[in-house]
Amino acid sequence: MQRLPLSRAPRAVLLALVGLLALPACSDDEEGTGTPDAGNTIPDAGTRTDAGTDAGTDAGTDAGTDAGTTTAWPQDFSCEGKPQQTLTFNANQVQELQDAVNSLAACTTIQLGAGTFQFDNALTIRANGITVVGAGKGAQGEGTGGSASTVLDFSDAAGNTNGIDVSDAKLFTVRDVALWNAKKDALRIENSSNILVQRIRTEWAVENNESNGKYGIYPVKSSYVIIEDSEAYNAADAGIYVGQTRYAIVRRNIAKKNVAGIEIENTKFAYVQGNIAQDNTAGLVVFDLPGNPIRGTDVLVTGNTITGNNRNNFASVSASSSTVSQVPAGTGTFILASRRVEFVGNTWGDNNTVDIAVLSGLAIEPDLTLWSAGFFNFASSDVYIHGNTFQEGSGDMVDNGHPDAERRPLGALVGAVYQYGAAAAGVSLVEHLLWDGIDPAPRNESLLNPVNICFTGNTLPATTKAAIVDLDLQAVSGHLLSASPNVAAAWGETRRFTQGAAPFNCSGFSPKLALP
Amino acid sequence: MRKPYSYGLGLAAVLLTAAMASCSGGEDPPPPGVDAGSNGTEDSGTLPVDSGTPDAGVDAGVDSGTPDAGDDAGTPDAGPGLPDGSVVIPTSLADLGLFTGSPATGGLQPVQGNIPYELTTPLFSDYALKFRTLYIPPGKTAAYRANDLLDLPVGTLITKTFSFPADLREPEKNVRVIETRVLVRQPGGWEAYPYFWNAEQTAATLAVGGRVVRDIELIDEAGVTRKFDYLVPSKNQCSMCHHVLDSSQNQVLLPIGVKARYLNRDYVYGGQPANQLQYLADLGKLTGLPASNVPRAPDAFNPAEAELGLRARTYLDINCAHCHRENATAGDTSRMFLDLDSTATLNLNMGVCKRPGSAGSGVGGEFDIVPGDHSVSILWYRLHTEESGKMMPQIGRALRHDQGSSLIADWIDSMPARSCK
Repeated sequence: MQRLPLSRAPRAVLLALVGLLALPACSDDEEGTGTPDAGNTIPDAGTRTDAGTDAGTDAGTDAGTDAGTTTAWPQDFSCEGKPQQTLTFNANQVQELQDAVNSLAACTTIQLGAGTFQFDNALTIRANGITVVGAGKGAQGEGTGGSASTVLDFSDAAGNTNGIDVSDAKLFTVRDVALWNAKKDALRIENSSNILVQRIRTEWAVENNESNGKYGIYPVKSSYVIIEDSEAYNAADAGIYVGQTRYAIVRRNIAKKNVAGIEIENTKFAYVQGNIAQDNTAGLVVFDLPGNPIRGTDVLVTGNTITGNNRNNFASVSASSSTVSQVPAGTGTFILASRRVEFVGNTWGDNNTVDIAVLSGLAIEPDLTLWSAGFFNFASSDVYIHGNTFQEGSGDMVDNGHPDAERRPLGALVGAVYQYGAAAAGVSLVEHLLWDGIDPAPRNESLLNPVNICFTGNTLPATTKAAIVDLDLQAVSGHLLSASPNVAAAWGETRRFTQGAAPFNCSGFSPKLALP
Repeated sequence: MRKPYSYGLGLAAVLLTAAMASCSGGEDPPPPGVDAGSNGTEDSGTLPVDSGTPDAGVDAGVDSGTPDAGDDAGTPDAGPGLPDGSVVIPTSLADLGLFTGSPATGGLQPVQGNIPYELTTPLFSDYALKFRTLYIPPGKTAAYRANDLLDLPVGTLITKTFSFPADLREPEKNVRVIETRVLVRQPGGWEAYPYFWNAEQTAATLAVGGRVVRDIELIDEAGVTRKFDYLVPSKNQCSMCHHVLDSSQNQVLLPIGVKARYLNRDYVYGGQPANQLQYLADLGKLTGLPASNVPRAPDAFNPAEAELGLRARTYLDINCAHCHRENATAGDTSRMFLDLDSTATLNLNMGVCKRPGSAGSGVGGEFDIVPGDHSVSILWYRLHTEESGKMMPQIGRALRHDQGSSLIADWIDSMPARSCK
């Protein structure tokens, strides 16, 4: 709880901020302009031509939804004209597989037969032009490979290891396999480029298990990444987590039963389309973490279904500082410390806490010094939500009715305020869009929408009155956390807006998104 | 209404916001201070004698691949070598020609020219006993560097043999040798190879895929029986620890321990104790060794050698800083720089009152280091826990190092207590 109100910044921070102003304000962005806007040239991605066609069709203004389809991404490695070979392994040849993987020539395809591969260590890949392909990802719950599925089972692997662990690999493809019970991350890809993750499944056997591995599909510090037609279940952190990456396409995936379904973190130029995020604690989130030097921007979220994300948060049982453990159950989407994010053609509904929350990074980390690495990227701004469908059933039971002020303070605060609102003002549902009102810090009450959140042309339930709430988190928490809490005063700090009300009826931001 | 900001901050933030707004769509300007090399940090833990040497550490190995051979062409190299100095990696360790005998015959002995050494503070690996050797090809030399890895020539072989005695209190008895790891300086850079010893202890065979040795039993120094699975890392896993990112953000493999500060101690050669660095210099294998002011990392567990803070930082340096430094993966992500050379702000980048961005589940606290209280400090928790997914380092241990855990706990507890916000 004590972390919610912005702390008084130490003098050093003031000095740092003032000092910053003396720096050259901007540097050229070699990536933001003239970006190669598109898909992938990884062999046989196959289905890419239909990307985006079903997204955002009701929007009219959905520039960019058919991005990711035409032009080739740059590649700093190619297998064209190089010797290529295929190595085939069956489930009883795991040691041979491990030996081969550690002596790989570039441009090798590792063909895995159907069945269950029992690993005692990670499958670690450090070469270029590698493809890992199995017989199929099988169905949810399958921990044993069948005649048309390949399950890589890490149940008995050495502690602290990932499943498939890729690092420093250019042009890497993995497809048609399931990764089962990894000790840490199921598929971790780091510092790599031109990545295709296609038709894989990452899963842990036991639901709601804190000691499950953290991430299902986790490309990090990479570039030109495609994750498509894949599934992620039961991760104790995030099912699909694109982190610190430039140019990512995440499409047609299913993320269920994770703490967070899909996360886009500190990532520039991401296209998130046609995914299903259901039955997670939080469905789909876009955020920057403090202390990371990559400043996330330009994220298009389109054609996704983000409904029924009401799984109790199982990220931790003890005090923890992980961001995800602080998320209240029932969060459809949150945007935190993010900018230039566009949502079009998505569906939300039945998310018990809220469909979308737009939050400042200061809500989780008030110490500005910790945001210095990303040039003080705590603020959220330029969030354009249009042409989406909001179904019923959201915002009616914050954090599933089990607030925890210590572990999930935001949920506890919102829950307390709305409990009062329901009784005193007849506002029983949290509005579809909740803005914490923090940015740009410090708050100026006379500016209703200083960070340019646009919410227009969305289909709302017939019962919807207000669609947007400016929660004024600082003021609300100030009233609720004072020595003599005053919930009526806290409620009085909140302001509601209907869809179409100025100034949230704006039409986006410019320039338009620079997309993959 | 509550007014949470001081006026000064408000003004600064407004100005900052204005400055940021003008950068809309722009790439991030470099964060201030990140590349500051030498601007007067409170790096009180640095070694006392390393003054004057610029930018240690991070550029090590970037010059790998520079062919520094050539003039020694006719020198008969021991071991299997190619004309360009490349070492052919044999299937059998014996074929490297670095050792005679075997554990089964009562001892694995390095051949002449394959020089054993020890570190002042070694990296912990499940209490394994480690036997290290350094082989520099005939006619070639290593160059001294004050804070960096020794500059070792192409053809250099570094070996480390891991073994477990049944009882750590009697380390000479009932020893099982598990693996010998070999680092090779090839013309294109360093490479790492694990050799796995057979059950008979007669031969070690290349095992690039790694191995898991189940159910090793060990009685520790306190008489407690420990049972665990030991992981022989695969070749590709070696780079999880032995790496640094070069200027193109590609991983470059590097040794860890062969730095002057860890080599600056005695070893008994042929019954005579000698300083290891001096011994190398006397053999003509090391050039540029200064007559004085050679840095020395203390034995982290000998209070007579250094004060607690330096010993703790030394332990973190050898155990953590191969990743937790600038230009290495974990340092990049966590912004924790635990190397002794770090010029970053001591307090924050060592983790004092620093909240991790994403620490994962149940890591014992909210901040990396809470001064005065190790029990809620994530840094300590990470190296104390034996839980998969939570423990550090990422690879290389299944067991807790009780001594190391205590050292870091004592260090954190010795810091003037204050609460973090």
